[in-house]
Amino acid sequence: MIRINEMFKKLYKISLVVLLAIFLLYVFNEIHDLASKSYLSEHYISKGVQETGAINLVTSVLYDYRSFDTLGEATVILTASAILAFLVPLRKVAMHGTKFLIIVHQTMIFIVPYLAVLGSYLILFGHLNPGGGFVGGVVLALIPIVMTITYCIEFSEYKFKPNIKTLLEDLGSICFIILGLFGIVTGSNFLASGQSNLGLGNPGELISGGLILCLNIIIGIKVGAGMAKIFNSLIKGE
Amino acid sequence: MELAVWVIILPLLTGFLLGISKLYFNKILFPLVMSSAIIYLYLLILVIQNSNPPKLYSIGNWGLLGINLMVDPFSSMFLLIIAILFISVIVFSMKYIKMNKHKYFIFTYLMIAGIAGMVLTADLFNLYVFLEVSSMSSYALSAFKKTDKGIEGTFKYLIMSTFGSFFILLATILTYYLTGTLNIAEVSLGFQDIPFMIKSMLMCLFVFGYVIKIGLVPMHAWLPDAYEDSPIPYNVFSSGLVMKSAIYALIRVLYIIFGIEFLSESGILNIFVYWGVITFIISHFLAFQQSNLIRLLAYSSIAQIGYIIVGLFVGSEKGLIGGSFHILNHAIMKGALFLVVGIFYYSLKSVKIEDIKEMGYKYPIISFIFVINALAIVGLPPFNGFMSKWLIVEAALESGFVYPAFFILVGTFLSLTYYLKVIIKLYTKTEEKIITKVPLALKIPTIFVGSLCIVFGIVPSLPLSLINNIPKFLLDNSEYVRILLGG
Repeated sequence: MIRINEMFKKLYKISLVVLLAIFLLYVFNEIHDLASKSYLSEHYISKGVQETGAINLVTSVLYDYRSFDTLGEATVILTASAILAFLVPLRKVAMHGTKFLIIVHQTMIFIVPYLAVLGSYLILFGHLNPGGGFVGGVVLALIPIVMTITYCIEFSEYKFKPNIKTLLEDLGSICFIILGLFGIVTGSNFLASGQSNLGLGNPGELISGGLILCLNIIIGIKVGAGMAKIFNSLIKGE
Repeated sequence: MELAVWVIILPLLTGFLLGISKLYFNKILFPLVMSSAIIYLYLLILVIQNSNPPKLYSIGNWGLLGINLMVDPFSSMFLLIIAILFISVIVFSMKYIKMNKHKYFIFTYLMIAGIAGMVLTADLFNLYVFLEVSSMSSYALSAFKKTDKGIEGTFKYLIMSTFGSFFILLATILTYYLTGTLNIAEVSLGFQDIPFMIKSMLMCLFVFGYVIKIGLVPMHAWLPDAYEDSPIPYNVFSSGLVMKSAIYALIRVLYIIFGIEFLSESGILNIFVYWGVITFIISHFLAFQQSNLIRLLAYSSIAQIGYIIVGLFVGSEKGLIGGSFHILNHAIMKGALFLVVGIFYYSLKSVKIEDIKEMGYKYPIISFIFVINALAIVGLPPFNGFMSKWLIVEAALESGFVYPAFFILVGTFLSLTYYLKVIIKLYTKTEEKIITKVPLALKIPTIFVGSLCIVFGIVPSLPLSLINNIPKFLLDNSEYVRILLGG
């Protein structure tokens, strides 16, 4: 009897998944036949460079047209890292696999500067090349993560104090809002960059794109600090 | 309107500042939280006053290319709920929360920012982003006590809620693919020449996603577990605002994007009305079996959500008014009940119904508030719950839903039985027991929120002057679309 019950439960779960798959397949099949409209994306492609001053159109959408969403996403990352730092027990546990050869330890010394340069490049040239604050921030976060893995968590937290990471995260979010208020001060709306009297510069130069460059730097620092904090909190687990 | 954006960024700023103050200036917690809450209250009142006719605010001055915020009567009613609950709960939790005060207030402020964003935004993806902001902080607060039970409940909540978010995001992506825009007004216009079949499928995805977040009956199981071992001031927000903001989003999406004609054509209105009836009947029976006061109130919340769903989906002007009024009333009544239970927990360290014996003599005023609000939530005159329930029954009868209207009366009777059970225990004498003295800072917010239910019951025109404008912009979406498109 129990076995039949178990079988029935399994069948029930499988049939639920299969039903969902059939439904989604049907939806996608039906929608695929319709012509999709894209006036918004066409506007972004044709007018994006002159309206925002950023050559990388993804950044121009992320940090200018829809920068309010980015504020929300940054808040989600901040909340996630705050939850992890809060919920994970404070006990420190020895990590597995910390016995590396000296070769690995020495190589790290050479890798870290490259990571720093790559991360800052991705952040600073986010509006010109593929990249941007989120990507660059994650690359920067690799530095403390790599330190945690190769040396130990104490060393990584000695070099980058948890308090400093939290401070950077919160300061980054505050600066995002303050930069947004700059738009209100200059007589336009919240988070306005091209519409306020801020010069957009020549597209293609490093100092161009109005607020986009500043927002990239802030988001880069914030995301980097947040990711490092999340990794260190998770690895502390029991 | 300039102030609309401040409604979102002021709590965000306060949350981030609290994060810094935790590290370096531990002392400024109280002045920072209180001054921010008072400024926020003032701000909300200003925004609510200017909400009719609806005002538009374009973030970054991009117009239809970017994100717009819009304050209309329906969203300003939610701002009113925030205004009433927020200041009271902040004062209450100042004394109530003993451990990790900073973290608690950070999460609370971020949650309020997320809910304010959901309520104000007129953009589908922005709605999803703020939904995530409020849900993330809500998970954190639900697991705040770090007990095993609390973490287990939060895990259920997390899994179910993420499942719902997945469907909402999928529906948003497909909507963007089909219409090429995310602005609610333009989506609504673009949907006019989309085949009926595809529209219904998109609606299924939206409905399924939001219904999990709301907690209608087959998907309600996470809710009492998540409530059971979380801080009680959070429960006030959770039942008053987090669930309600999902209802807001569902109503906004269905009524504005799909339009009332499509809703009645596809039969979703009938489905929702009967779904609401099933929800409140089943959860009333479940509530009757509980021995834990918080679980009882949680099941009662699900039941009240059933009434609200019946009212909002009857599809007439009166139904929308009744449903919206019941959202406001339920937030107040359930808020007051949870605050009273919070006081009992503070002094007794227990929330079992058995243990609250004789509290009626120890705390006469607080217990009186409990009785009033319990009777109001049951739906007895002259309290506010009676007004809104009566409006819902009347609207259901006018639209030809005779059986739902009858079952609402049956549900009222059912809820009376289990609330009476609690009230009788409250005034039962028992042997002496040790109780902790409750500070005045816990009592004043409770009395304030609790007495509102008499005020709104005797003078219902006070909130109804705001609520009466709601159907104008929901039932006929052309007006809302016209204002949002900037004409």
